Amino acid sequence: MQIRDYIIRRLMILPILIIGTSIIVFALTRIGGSPIGIYLSHEMSPAEVQEMKERFHLDKPVPVQYFYWIKGVSQGDLGWSGVASAPVVDVFPKKFAATMELAIAAGIVAVSLGIAMGTFAGARRNKISDHIIRVVSVSGASMPLFWFAILLLIIFWVWLGWFPIGRSDPNLFEAIPHPTGFYTIDALLAGNFSAFRDAIWHLIMPAVALGYGATAIIARMMRSSLIEELQEDYVDAAKAKGLAERVVLKKHARRNALVPTVTVIGLTFGFLLQGTVVAEIIFRWPGLGRWMASAVLRGDQATIMAYVMFTSILFLFVNLVVDIIYAYLDRRVVLGD
Amino acid sequence: MSPDNLDIQNSLDKDLIASVTDLKVYFESKQGMVHSVDGVSFDIVDGEMMGLVGETGCGKSVTARTFMQLVQSPPGVLAGGNIKFRSKNIKNGSQVIDLLDLSENQIRELRGERIAMIFQDPGKALNPGLTIRTQVAEVFQEHRENDVLEKAGLKNKLSGVTEYFVKKYIKQEAGFLVTTLLKIPPLSTYKKKIDSGINRLVAEALEETQIPNPTKVMERYPHELSGGMKQRVMIAQAIACNPDLLIADEPTTALDVTVQARVLDLIKELQKRHKTSVLYISHDLSLVRRICDRIAVMYAGQIVETGDAETIFNQPKHPYTQGLINALPSMSHERGKLEAIEGIVPELIEPEPGCRFVSRCMRRKANCEEIDPKLKPISEVDKSHKVACLLYEA
Repeated sequence: MQIRDYIIRRLMILPILIIGTSIIVFALTRIGGSPIGIYLSHEMSPAEVQEMKERFHLDKPVPVQYFYWIKGVSQGDLGWSGVASAPVVDVFPKKFAATMELAIAAGIVAVSLGIAMGTFAGARRNKISDHIIRVVSVSGASMPLFWFAILLLIIFWVWLGWFPIGRSDPNLFEAIPHPTGFYTIDALLAGNFSAFRDAIWHLIMPAVALGYGATAIIARMMRSSLIEELQEDYVDAAKAKGLAERVVLKKHARRNALVPTVTVIGLTFGFLLQGTVVAEIIFRWPGLGRWMASAVLRGDQATIMAYVMFTSILFLFVNLVVDIIYAYLDRRVVLGD
Repeated sequence: MSPDNLDIQNSLDKDLIASVTDLKVYFESKQGMVHSVDGVSFDIVDGEMMGLVGETGCGKSVTARTFMQLVQSPPGVLAGGNIKFRSKNIKNGSQVIDLLDLSENQIRELRGERIAMIFQDPGKALNPGLTIRTQVAEVFQEHRENDVLEKAGLKNKLSGVTEYFVKKYIKQEAGFLVTTLLKIPPLSTYKKKIDSGINRLVAEALEETQIPNPTKVMERYPHELSGGMKQRVMIAQAIACNPDLLIADEPTTALDVTVQARVLDLIKELQKRHKTSVLYISHDLSLVRRICDRIAVMYAGQIVETGDAETIFNQPKHPYTQGLINALPSMSHERGKLEAIEGIVPELIEPEPGCRFVSRCMRRKANCEEIDPKLKPISEVDKSHKVACLLYEA
């Protein structure tokens, strides 16, 4: 099947998957009980509480509530966030951009460093550099994110003062327009270099903390699959043609070693999104993760549902992209059936 | 050491293309050194087809790979011996070199150029992720820069930076910057010409091995071709530079019986046409007899018998060779009954002295377990027929 046909087919299945996800998300959230608490205050009378219930359709059966929710979502109304004291839709884009900026930065760190480290170690199996990389990646995979993040915070913020925390100086960013919500990109679009540098500066520490675990996983996968590929006959055949070691490694072995690694990268993205919650709290990053943590603690169901829905859809898209890259790398993959 | 062995150490007999002397390749393992190739010596006459026969694990593939320094180290250890090779480089005239003494860069110049190799399983020896064109093209790009330029119509027409970039591109040494520059005008026209030049060379090479529709096959991926077709691609790739020595490591073993004969005939025909010397490795004695001029029989890391194909087949001297020939199924055999050599191949980890075949030998003598038999001519008359067995030692 052609890659294009495959994409179209996958995109057609996507709405069904999204509807399925929405049902599961709604059901799981409602298991936690009625979300009315977040909208109430102590001064309200029973009549006012009843009025609130009616306003949010919480007096209806749960399946009916689902349809009200879906109706709202389709009209661009994600509900009222009790935590943010504002409609979810108003707060979401800004926070989403902040989280995506962090997750993508961490992803770039993880993918580029992970593949480079894995290739380096795999090509130098059992040499000193391989051992060092293995130690680095084993610790990355086994150190809990919250611990490593706090470690970075203590060393680079408290002691050395090299990196700041939080997200960029508000004064710098009030002045420039925010078409994307990504501070780095907005600064570049505005041509404001000092703002760009500031944005990058604030991004480095949380991105490294968040990306380290994923780097380790990708590096380990890349190393082992490269070692496996280097045992294959086609590597010897390529050498027998007189090709340089570098060409054999980069053009022949690495390409095939990337096939299993790409699958892992796709899964790692979910791992990164999950990690943003911890990273944002520790580094005071004003993104979805921090918002989400307080929403969960306070039972702000509208926010939780919006978050889970959005990340699920994102995850579906990432996996679609992974499948396409997969098919591109390994021509034997028959897409679809 | 006998006088003719000394002679080989300094130079190479005029009629030889290669000579292996006392080659020892060991492999490190947790149990100890595995003596995979343990003192192997044989010659390859220029223009002949030499068969190297033995069962799986006897060290014949390791021997072949050593020609190109393709044995992975570690765990492989080159424990001794040499391989003299006459490189008929057109520029420098012919030149005798020791293949095991060459540096990585020197051996790389010979690989695919003067010595080429066909692998056992073409399905594994072709990279699944690259098109046939890309893979065959690499041989030309690595060794035939001038041919590529000529086919592209760019010979002697380039200079300065352009020439530098284009040559980097041909040699696959172009980095990100050069690759990008070659994708945009004005340099992209050169890239297009080079690519079409390479295409023509690849198509010609594929045509040489009777692949129908080479321009279409070129764009395919290995998994889209049949086994026989893939092996033809491998052969085209191997003979692309018209090498002096072609090493064929069981090239038909992984193929269907119906395709085997055709691939075999193709190799034979190409060998005759280009006067290439071939080292043909196989476990199938009857197949080797059909196409090879001479045969060396290997057992457990050592050559046990060598001589003309017909002589070996009609008058085998070594008990192992006799057993092998006896084990060949023939039409006159009783139905449902196959001959076999009793016993199993001995462990090659730190082997004991004495004949390696002794445990399976039907004709062993009392001292076979103590004395290492040497490969010696069987008679004064026929010096080419040699056997390593105490039965024939005076």
